Amino acid sequence: MIALGGVTPRARWSRRLIAAASIAVLLVGGLAVKLAQLQVSDGATLAGMARANTVHRVVLEADRGIIYDRHGAALVVNSPVWNLEVTPAALPLDARARTTELSELARVTGVPEQKVAADLVAADPYADVRVGGDLTQAQELALQERLPLLGGASIVQRSIRTYVDPLIFGHVLGYVGPLNEAELKQLRPSGYLPGEVVGKVGVEAGLETMLRGKNGWADVVVDARGQLVRMLDSQPPVPGGSASLSLDADLQRATAKSLADGLVRDHKTAGASVVVDPRTGEVLALVSLPGYDTNLFTHGISQADYSKLLDDPNRPMLNRAIAGQYAPGSTFKMVTATAGLQEGKITAGTLLNCPSYINVNGWIYHNWASYSLGQMNVAKALATSCDTFFYQVAAMVGDVTLAKYARAFGFGTSKDIEMPGVMPGLVPDRIWKQLQCGVPDLNSDACRWSQGDTITFGIGQSYLLTTPLNQAVYVAALANGGLVMRPTLIHEVRDASGHVTESMHAEVTGHVPASAANLMAVREGMRQEINRPYNMNYWFRAAGVPADGGGKTGTAQWGGSGLDLPTHAWFVFFAPYAQPEVAMSVFVERGELSEVEAAPIAVQLMKFYRDHVTAIRS
Amino acid sequence: MTTGAVWRRLDPLQPLLACMLAALGLMTVFSAHADWGRQVTWVAFGACAYAAASAFDYRRLRALALGLYAGTILMLLAVHLVGHTALGARRWLSVAGFPLEPSELSKLLLVIVLAAYLSRAERLSWRSFGGALLLAAPPAGLILTQPDLGTTLVLVAVLFGMLFLAGARAWQLFSLVFAGGVALPLLPFLLHGYQRRRLEIFLDPSQDPLGAGYNLMQARIAIGAGGLFGQGWLHGLQGQLGFVPERATDFVFAIFAEEFGLLGSLVLLAVFGTLLIRLLRSAAVAPDRFGELLAGGVFVLVLAQVIENVGMNIGLLPIAGIPLPLISYGGSATITTLAALGLVQSVTLRRRVVAHGDGTVVTLGTITRRAQA
Repeated sequence: MIALGGVTPRARWSRRLIAAASIAVLLVGGLAVKLAQLQVSDGATLAGMARANTVHRVVLEADRGIIYDRHGAALVVNSPVWNLEVTPAALPLDARARTTELSELARVTGVPEQKVAADLVAADPYADVRVGGDLTQAQELALQERLPLLGGASIVQRSIRTYVDPLIFGHVLGYVGPLNEAELKQLRPSGYLPGEVVGKVGVEAGLETMLRGKNGWADVVVDARGQLVRMLDSQPPVPGGSASLSLDADLQRATAKSLADGLVRDHKTAGASVVVDPRTGEVLALVSLPGYDTNLFTHGISQADYSKLLDDPNRPMLNRAIAGQYAPGSTFKMVTATAGLQEGKITAGTLLNCPSYINVNGWIYHNWASYSLGQMNVAKALATSCDTFFYQVAAMVGDVTLAKYARAFGFGTSKDIEMPGVMPGLVPDRIWKQLQCGVPDLNSDACRWSQGDTITFGIGQSYLLTTPLNQAVYVAALANGGLVMRPTLIHEVRDASGHVTESMHAEVTGHVPASAANLMAVREGMRQEINRPYNMNYWFRAAGVPADGGGKTGTAQWGGSGLDLPTHAWFVFFAPYAQPEVAMSVFVERGELSEVEAAPIAVQLMKFYRDHVTAIRS
Repeated sequence: MTTGAVWRRLDPLQPLLACMLAALGLMTVFSAHADWGRQVTWVAFGACAYAAASAFDYRRLRALALGLYAGTILMLLAVHLVGHTALGARRWLSVAGFPLEPSELSKLLLVIVLAAYLSRAERLSWRSFGGALLLAAPPAGLILTQPDLGTTLVLVAVLFGMLFLAGARAWQLFSLVFAGGVALPLLPFLLHGYQRRRLEIFLDPSQDPLGAGYNLMQARIAIGAGGLFGQGWLHGLQGQLGFVPERATDFVFAIFAEEFGLLGSLVLLAVFGTLLIRLLRSAAVAPDRFGELLAGGVFVLVLAQVIENVGMNIGLLPIAGIPLPLISYGGSATITTLAALGLVQSVTLRRRVVAHGDGTVVTLGTITRRAQA
């Protein structure tokens, strides 16, 4: 090679330099291969992840429907609350800064730090996680000041259910709360999301699908701090439908007041009352005492408050009106009477003795009176509540037929009312009793149905159980001529735009197999009962209410067999006599004298009804 | 020698490649929303440093090597004493109001010092092998304790690479690797908590998708989202919305790859590759062993940083805060890199070619000569 002017660029490559060049080429080539894999083979997956990072679907919560009484008075409202919410992805990346922020959030909201951290770790990093709910104004102010320093935290307005007079309406309305794990599993297919609020008990649960509404969504582009950059697409939420209940708020209040006053007067702690329209099955009032503050649940009940409710011996969370099961006692005698009349064992005019006791196979069964009340027909037997009369009728009719009539009146069935947790009560029979022994034994007295069981069945004892709701439906059937109505709480349902989507419709679920004449004979007995001078009639006169209707008291023994057992007091009633408009049951737990403790409550209720009938029925 | 002759010896491709990188770097830094004006200033300063270093006779550095070494140590000590702390590490000195990162500077200074030291003899004796290790240990130790694991690893790579180029025997290098292997189990004790964490996260990034693994995950997502052709300059979704952390410095490559795609990334790697080969070529034409090792050292320096930075971006290597030369935002790194390239140009410019009467060129690099021996 010729070099001109002494400068010819010419490189000589040593083996080391060649090796270095080869290593460089290999390493850079290796990077290129991995890059090709990332950007081409995994490109689509990673691009999807990038989109998932940056484009988020934000749930736009639908307002839950409002619940009104039959006249449009709101029984629950959605009230605004301010929550502290945190987007986990936007927390500081630096571990120390993150810890500082978490303890600050914990301090301001009063939530334990471990819980805050655990919630945030468990959550979707790009979803807003509620750290503190229902901030007080002081907390909100304190937070607003520090918010710029708290990465990812924001104060968000949400709506929360606030119940009107929860102690009075609580057992009907129930409450809502965030889904628990089991509920989530069950409701996920219906589109529920973790943490979503759902009706737990009462009408809130019973009308869940209708009240819930449909959440909307918005697809938004957010940056790494969770800040919204722009919106791509959205669908507004559709609020839930609203429900007008068949309840009359004033009547409900009056029922609660009469019952509460009665309980206080007689030093009792628990009771229930259900008022229905016998023509339609509409529930006008449904009260269970004691009540409890359902608002505690929507605001996130404290462990202390919850334990207090659970440990209360009066069991305030038990809705006795639908789930309390008690022996009906003498209020059952109308069933025995109907069965006896309809089966031809007695007629309205048949006279039977009412001795102080009867002897069945050597067993003595007492009347409430220690003296004979003489001969009487069925109406008088009902009016005087003669036990021995109905022992005889029960023996004539037999347990199988008696059970058939009890079931026909709706005993032993869960009523299909618009709330969960309804209990059926119990109509016992021979098979049922055998099953109680575990291993059936046809020769054991404990397992075998006895004549004594049949006899006490006739006065609503033995193993019979009922609920205040079942009692109201039963009285309604007596009042309306034998139609067992489905009790309903719905007056009207409207969708979000105000269109009526559902109206109250009376539904007959069964017919009592009894002639009109026989039922009239039974009602006559109930009319006589409330018109007996110096007895029930006194309460009507004292309240200034005409005793126009029919009623029956019942003092039911419970807790085993024998004398001097504890009792519950019942009173069932319908009015007016000719064209019944209301049927009701009144129950006083551990009541001792039904005509003194339960009946006056119904009379007070009737007084209110008389005075306000126009308003209630409008 | 006339000026014209000097310019004819210039390697024109090397500054061209550096310009391409700097241009791509400025575009990416702009896209990463860093202080673009400042980076432009630094590139301009770097260009001046490049010109000055090219013009400067690199051979004079040999005499200055001891002073430069002392200066390096003093500077790193100063960082420990009066340095600024950021992100849990003490790395910056304030010089005339400018933040200076001495660890960046020390990379080039170690190259110069090692080149000067290793070029004293033709062959690498055990003595000089050990001497090189002793020379590298103090700056590496001072930087490791800042703490800055990444830069320390770059220094180790430079030491290793220069020993290789200086002709270290295979078993010498192997003993170094072996010593490293022995020291590895001790690493968890030497590492700071966050460094150990980074290593663990590298091994399993899903461990903490919101904490330390976040960087790695998001960088990979961004790179993958770039696909074949990229999402276009300034249009990378992940990068623009801030999902890629340290997007102008450590993870600038992710921004680049998201916006320019695989094609862009391959072009970038090709430019780096070509530049690296040009640096080796400069070593091949160097007039003396010092120049050859200097150019070779800069080659190792650039190679180590490209591999580690791109490698951590695509998840091949653990995360260490190392800039991508000429692409990442940062004054000290940009200026140092351009100055280093300038020194290599200086080596190229000063190659001596003597033409014999028969036209055979005899002036060759020392390595070449040894190889021919």
